[in-house]
Parts: sequence; structure tokens; C-alpha cells
Amino acid sequence: MNRTGRLTASAMFVGLMTVGANISVWLPFLAVPIGGQTVPLSLQPFFAILAGLLLGYKWGAYSMGCYVLLGLTGLPIFADLSGGFGVFAGPTGGFLLSFIAIAFFAGFIMEKTAFRNRVFAAAFAGLLVNYLLGVTYMYGAMHLWLGVAISYKTAWISMLPFLVKDFCFSMLAAFFFSKVAYAFGKSKVSYNTSFK
Amino acid sequence: MNNLLIVGQYVPTNSIVHRMDPRVKMLIIFFYVIFIFFANNVISYGLFTLFALGSTILTKVPRRFIAKGLTPVWFLIVFTFILHLFVTREGFVLFHVFGLPIYSGALEQGAVISLRFFLLILLTSLLTLTTTPIEITDAVESLLGPLRRFKFPVHELALMMSISLRFIPTLLQETEKISNAQASRGVDFRTGPFRERVRAVIPLLVPLFVSAFKRAEELAMAMEARGYRGGEGRTKLRELRVVKRDVAALVCFIVITAAALITRDYS
Repeated sequence: MNRTGRLTASAMFVGLMTVGANISVWLPFLAVPIGGQTVPLSLQPFFAILAGLLLGYKWGAYSMGCYVLLGLTGLPIFADLSGGFGVFAGPTGGFLLSFIAIAFFAGFIMEKTAFRNRVFAAAFAGLLVNYLLGVTYMYGAMHLWLGVAISYKTAWISMLPFLVKDFCFSMLAAFFFSKVAYAFGKSKVSYNTSFK
Repeated sequence: MNNLLIVGQYVPTNSIVHRMDPRVKMLIIFFYVIFIFFANNVISYGLFTLFALGSTILTKVPRRFIAKGLTPVWFLIVFTFILHLFVTREGFVLFHVFGLPIYSGALEQGAVISLRFFLLILLTSLLTLTTTPIEITDAVESLLGPLRRFKFPVHELALMMSISLRFIPTLLQETEKISNAQASRGVDFRTGPFRERVRAVIPLLVPLFVSAFKRAEELAMAMEARGYRGGEGRTKLRELRVVKRDVAALVCFIVITAAALITRDYS
């Protein structure tokens, strides 16, 4: 696949991320009741990992960068159809920024190493980067501008249930990758999933 | 579902702010976001509030659209305010709520942080209310231009942004279609044991990926058939130009920021 093809595929991934952010519309089991309130879970890390795996580390990162930039300018493409600067001012903005890093690291491991099961290693690396950046940003945001002093440990504990969910879905992403690669072969999409 | 498809919140009123160069708008917002953190007394906050409210009035956008842009963050603003009331312990005790003391410092700090948030969100939401997404991508391309020297694909990124603007609604619609198609074949997205429902992700997302990549391929082919060869030597239909009103807006912003920086407390 040539450069123009990679460019358009990366652009499509921005749309796929938007679907992933609001997936609970179509998969209602992902809207989980927590404390009397329904919290819609998102599949963004799942899609960000796949961006790295399918587009490669470079274009995967560009694609996620494009997603973050578009959201930052105010398009409602993040979870719950939110968007704009306010999302980044909130405590969870770091997770959004981490998507760029997820795609980069997942794609990097996939492309530059050659061991068996590297798909799973790539997905796991993505998950790790996601939470390292996300939780650190949350801690920073709380201290620097939200003015709420919580400890670093509390920040991690509060995100633990989501970590479990995202661990399951990042492993599913690795499994999903092979499914998609197979489907691409069948439907004659010439997208290169073997990284030559 | 239908409300999912409303992308962008541009309100055309053809005000002076609408006609401004999008790059100038973005630069002003960028520096406003930075400098508002320097404000620390009544006068400096007052000046920044004046600027934000003044620009809001100049846009001529009806109030309900502005309120709509603020709704997602109201919760955050109110939440930080209330949290501050109970957590901060500075100054003297004003009164008691449910047996908890409320300090004067807490009231002050809570109000200041909420105000800062409010101003930030207000001014940044004005950008999308007064600028079309296409103008925004043009401005991003132009502002990131200097990064080209470090081999950063600025043109490609901007093109990706405009392509995805076109395809985000399409892919949302596609997901809806696939979901209906699979449901009619008996895939159950709503009931059943948890494992089964997680498995329903596959018949929904595999076709979505395949169709998205097919579209990408067709689009790439169509672009190349029309002679697309990357950003090198490409000309533009819409040229951005800085004119008098942009300079006036910049000067106005610089004067207000400078005044705020001079009047803030340095002790």
C-alpha cells in the first residue's frame, strides 16, 4: 500500500475511533451502572492499539494525533460526543493524549520485533502506556489546576476497575487483529497486514 | 442515533469574529489559555473576564448555543467549587454546613478556580461556534507549517483532518447499518451471558473495519487518478490572509494581556 492509501486509511481510523468512543450506543452492555449512574465505557484503547497494529507506528501515531487535534478544536468526537478544550482540562485528558503513544508503541513492537505472540506484547504495551500517561496526567491535573490534593496511589486505585476492563479489551484487540487480517484477505482489501 | 450525526456546532452569523482569520483566532485562544494562569487578583481576572465576555458579545451567537457548548463542563465547574469548599482550610470560618466548617479561603479559592475554568471553556468554545471545520484545518496546516522542516508531514495531517471530517458521519451511519444487519441475522447485542455479548463485538466491528479500509482504498485510488501527488507544489482554493481586523484583534488582546500581567500581584 502506497503513501496515499496510508493517508486515507489513517483518516478512516479517526472515524473508527469516534465509533469506538461511543460504542455503547450499539453495544449496550458497555453502559455499566456504577453507583446509580450509567457510565458508558469506551473502546478507545482497543481502537488505538489496532491503529498501531494495522497502520504501523508512524501512521498510527499520525492518525491518533489527528483524532486528538480534531477533538481539541471542538468537534464532538470523544466519548459521550464531547470535544473541545474542556475535555483536556478535566482529569481524564491524559488518556486522550496517550492514544498517540499507544498507537506508536503498539505499532513499533509489531513492526520492529519478530518474536511469536508479539501482537499480544504490542497490545499489552499499549495498555501500559495508556494508563501510565493517563493516570499521571490525572494526578498532575488534580494538583496543578483542579486544586484537589489526592495521592498518586489513590489516582491509580480509582482507575483500577477501568484497567481491568481495558486489559480484557486490549487482549481482545490482539485476537481481533488476526480476524481483521483474515477478513481483509477474503474481501481483497490490499492493505498490508504482514508489514513488509 | 440521529443526534450522533450532528458534527460541528458552527453558528453562521457573519459577525466580525466569524470573518477573522482562523489562525489569529487560534493564536489568541492559545495564548489566552496560557496567560490566564498568571492572573491572581481582582483586576487581572477582571481584565481576562472582560476580554472573554467582550469577544462573546462580538460573535453575535445566540445565548442558547453558547450555553449548549458549556453544558458538558458545568458539572466539572460546580464539582471543583464544592470540593474546594469542603477541602480547603485557609482563612477564617465563615459558617457551618451539616456540621462542616466552611472557610473564607475555601470560598475564594473555589470561586477563582471555577471562574478560570469557565473563562477557558467559554473562549475556546467560541472557536468552533464561529469557525467552520474546514477553516480550522486550513489554520492548523498553516500554523504547524514550520514543523515541515523537521520532516513532520503537516500537509498530510491537515488533509487527513479534512478527509476524516467527511467520513466520521459516514462511519457512524455504517456502524448503525451493520448493527441492524447483524441483528436481523440473529446476532444478539442486548441480552445473553456476558461472554456471548463480548463476542458480539466481532460481527459488529470486523465488517466495519473492512468497509472502512475499502473506502480508504477507493478514495486513495480516486485521488491518485486525479493526480494527487502529496503536498509538494500544491496550490490552494482558499488562501488565508491577515487583514486589518485581525491586527486590531491581536493588538486588543496584547494590550489586555499586558495590562493583566502588569496589575497582577508579584509579592
